[in-house]
Amino acid sequence: MVEKGNTKFFVRKNLPKAFKAALLAVITYLPMYFLSTLASPIKPFFPWYEPLTNIFTVVFIFFLVAGVFSSGTVFQYVFGVVRMLVLMVFLIYVLNGGIITLTVEGTSIMLDITVVLAMLVLVCLLGIAKNVVQAIDFVSGKAETEEL
Amino acid sequence: MAKREERRMRYAVRALGWATIIFWIFIILFSATAVYSAMNVRMGFGEPQMVLSNEFMVISIPLFINNTGLYDLSELNITANAMDHNGSLTLTSTTLVPLIPRGSNVEITHNLSVSLEEIESWLRTYLFNDTIFNVNMSMKLNFAHVVPFQASTNTTIPWGAPFYNFSTGQISYEYHNLTHQRVIIPLSFENHSPYFGVDGMMHVEMCNASGKVIASGTLNLDVPPAYSKYEDQVELIVDVLKLTPSGEMHFYFETSVFSFGPVVMPYG
Repeated sequence: MVEKGNTKFFVRKNLPKAFKAALLAVITYLPMYFLSTLASPIKPFFPWYEPLTNIFTVVFIFFLVAGVFSSGTVFQYVFGVVRMLVLMVFLIYVLNGGIITLTVEGTSIMLDITVVLAMLVLVCLLGIAKNVVQAIDFVSGKAETEEL
Repeated sequence: MAKREERRMRYAVRALGWATIIFWIFIILFSATAVYSAMNVRMGFGEPQMVLSNEFMVISIPLFINNTGLYDLSELNITANAMDHNGSLTLTSTTLVPLIPRGSNVEITHNLSVSLEEIESWLRTYLFNDTIFNVNMSMKLNFAHVVPFQASTNTTIPWGAPFYNFSTGQISYEYHNLTHQRVIIPLSFENHSPYFGVDGMMHVEMCNASGKVIASGTLNLDVPPAYSKYEDQVELIVDVLKLTPSGEMHFYFETSVFSFGPVVMPYG
């Protein structure tokens, strides 16, 4: 009877989280899918792009889901920081540090998007800072509650 | 006190959240408009023109750029250089356009300037020797003042000399009359040029040891392109009194493509 009650409580507690995680995973996957479709004409020039993006999407969604399931704990923010770090490393790697080079029929093309990459990295750093501040806020709030 | 701290934290979190959203919107907008603008830049080349002055030959290649995008193009730099297989610099030219504002149509000319002295030196080398030209063309520009773009292409052009291995054979002397001798000079070369045939005339002058022209003659040339061999002989009637055992032969070429000479070859 007690076991049945525990299961009910566990399901009731985690079902909304599972829905939220599934919804967020779909929302995260959609831009990746559209970006992949959009980039399909230039895929032959970047053969490593698709497998790398797939790995990144899986890792990113994993941390997103982990963050949702650990909501209400400090780990929610830890996963948030890791997610932003993964995004930052992926962007730096996929954009080759801001210098994109490709060769089309004997013509080599070089595009320097360091400024755009710097802005993307800044956004990731802002995301990390936000998660860190939220974690501090959470921990201090919890400590206060315990004191009271 | 603790509540005030908590409220401050929340403000900071909210500010960071808004900053992140604003940056994302800015990056997405910039990326989308940059791609749209880049697709609306049209470039093309016009008909090349050649201008010949006293000292220089200038080949002008018109270039038009229609920037109907949303961003300026700046510091456009077009460079072309051609080198032969030795790597010695043969020809280089650069055109710089400081700014192409958005919504504007710019027409410029890319000038390749060569001194006539240089052309003569090239003819002296490349009319008689095969080589491989390495042509590099590059274009650099700054898109929206923040995204540098560079495109470069490298092409090799094999050059076949139209008078490859131009040489005279053994000169023979025959009796003509009491005062004159007939000098027979065998001539041979190969037209290695894949682009043009050698059709025109070759004028030959024979000079004695003191440099005085003692006889001259003309030969018609009609050698088709692509590894055609030419073998003929020129006969000159020479005054026996002026003929010396050694001297020089001067060759002048007049073809539909170029005029060149003299090519000096010793005899004796």
